[in-house]
Amino acid sequence: MTKPGASRVPDVITDHVTGRRIDLYATRTANQRASWLLFLALAAILALIGWLLALAFDPAGAGVFVAVAVGVAGVQSAVAWAYSDRIALAAAGARRASREEQRYLVNVAEAVAIGAGVPTPRVFVIDDPAPNAFATGRNPSKAAIAVTTGLLDLLDRQELEGVVAHEMAHVRNYDIRFMSLLAATVGAIVVLRDLVWRWMRFGRRRSSGGGRGQVFAMIAVLVLMVVAPIMATLLHFAVSRRREYLADATGAYITRNPEGLARALTKLRDYGGAPLQASEGVRHMFIVNPIARLNATGWWSTHPPIQERIDRLRRM
Amino acid sequence: MGFLITLVVLAAIVAFIVAIYNRIITLENRFENAWSQIDVQLKRRADLVPNLVETVKGYASHEKGVFEQVARSRQAMMNAQTPDEGAEAANMMSQALGRLFAISEAYPDLKANENFKLLQEELSAVENKIAYARQFYNDAVLQFNNAIETVPGVFIAGPMGKKEHVFLEIAEGDRETPQVSFA
Repeated sequence: MTKPGASRVPDVITDHVTGRRIDLYATRTANQRASWLLFLALAAILALIGWLLALAFDPAGAGVFVAVAVGVAGVQSAVAWAYSDRIALAAAGARRASREEQRYLVNVAEAVAIGAGVPTPRVFVIDDPAPNAFATGRNPSKAAIAVTTGLLDLLDRQELEGVVAHEMAHVRNYDIRFMSLLAATVGAIVVLRDLVWRWMRFGRRRSSGGGRGQVFAMIAVLVLMVVAPIMATLLHFAVSRRREYLADATGAYITRNPEGLARALTKLRDYGGAPLQASEGVRHMFIVNPIARLNATGWWSTHPPIQERIDRLRRM
Repeated sequence: MGFLITLVVLAAIVAFIVAIYNRIITLENRFENAWSQIDVQLKRRADLVPNLVETVKGYASHEKGVFEQVARSRQAMMNAQTPDEGAEAANMMSQALGRLFAISEAYPDLKANENFKLLQEELSAVENKIAYARQFYNDAVLQFNNAIETVPGVFIAGPMGKKEHVFLEIAEGDRETPQVSFA
């Protein structure tokens, strides 16, 4: 895999399927730009719903709806901003790994951090036989990496380095910060939908049968209320999938060893034991989705298919 | 009015030069920091060595040749003045330790010793960290060289007296299977 001297320009990878050269630095920037565009699109959807609400009902009411939805989302993201790492670690049942107890894991994390040029993250262990791992923390100096005891038992050093590097890549690419902001926006759209549904069912007493424009706007609101949350969620998952690929590529770049991560993913794919005990809210964070079928192809998965990820790594 | 425009343009040019200057200095600091990372790990390895030698002596006291080789490499490391000497001593130590661990294979009691296992893990971890630190150093040097050889950095790198830096050669196999280097 790694040839001597190859480490000088390793950030350019050739994708043998398309024959295109991928510059990792450029990919990262392009990804970030695309992500912000998605974020703006979601904000535009929110604004459009607000505007249609104003047309269909009365401007003051619509303003209240949008304000409440944005307020709820704002509080959510503020909480996520401040406590996301603690919440995630607690929800996953992770405990701090001491150097004495987890010498091997701590050494691997320190080594990969040196290679990535980031401060050594805090290292946590989850007592669970299912092999998995995740990273959290809004910036590299606040980062934490958690792995299950099952992962430590299953993988050799190079494979573990691959997984740790994938997690470190999420931190270095600021994926965690962006994904929590995106999740908050999707959340705002869902909150808005729920508010309007409730209001239409119980509070629609003042409506006095306006003109055709108003009827049209009302239908548009109804359609958007159904479609927007679905679209927003699909966008969210699409971004999540792209970021998994990018973290794989960045991880391979950090270790200069795509094969390590590829072998680790193969082992994770072939693991046949009981799935990880993880609640729905934290499943998307892990390196592979704890529910195996959610690693399948499809718009409804937060992760790309494992086989596709392995193939991409092997082609680097 | 014309005076004002000239002033604004001048200020913009100065700000631009300052930004390039700062970028070059930042990148230079980065690889100097990367260099010190390598140093830290090499020192840590040298610190672990006496302990390792004591442990191995307890089981294989007659393997004098290898102990001397390790001691010599450690001494060379302590005496190293230039980066080149340091790198040479570091290579000597890698070889000596490789031989020491190879010899250990013949002593099952030694291999079962807890302290030995601990030292073995710590030394392969250090070896691994050295490899990563070298890799990061090369990354940093690459970025620095790119910055001073491309426009706009190339215009002020000369006046700043900044020159291209050389990459560290990474021995073949070093990065691939760090844990096997002792086997």
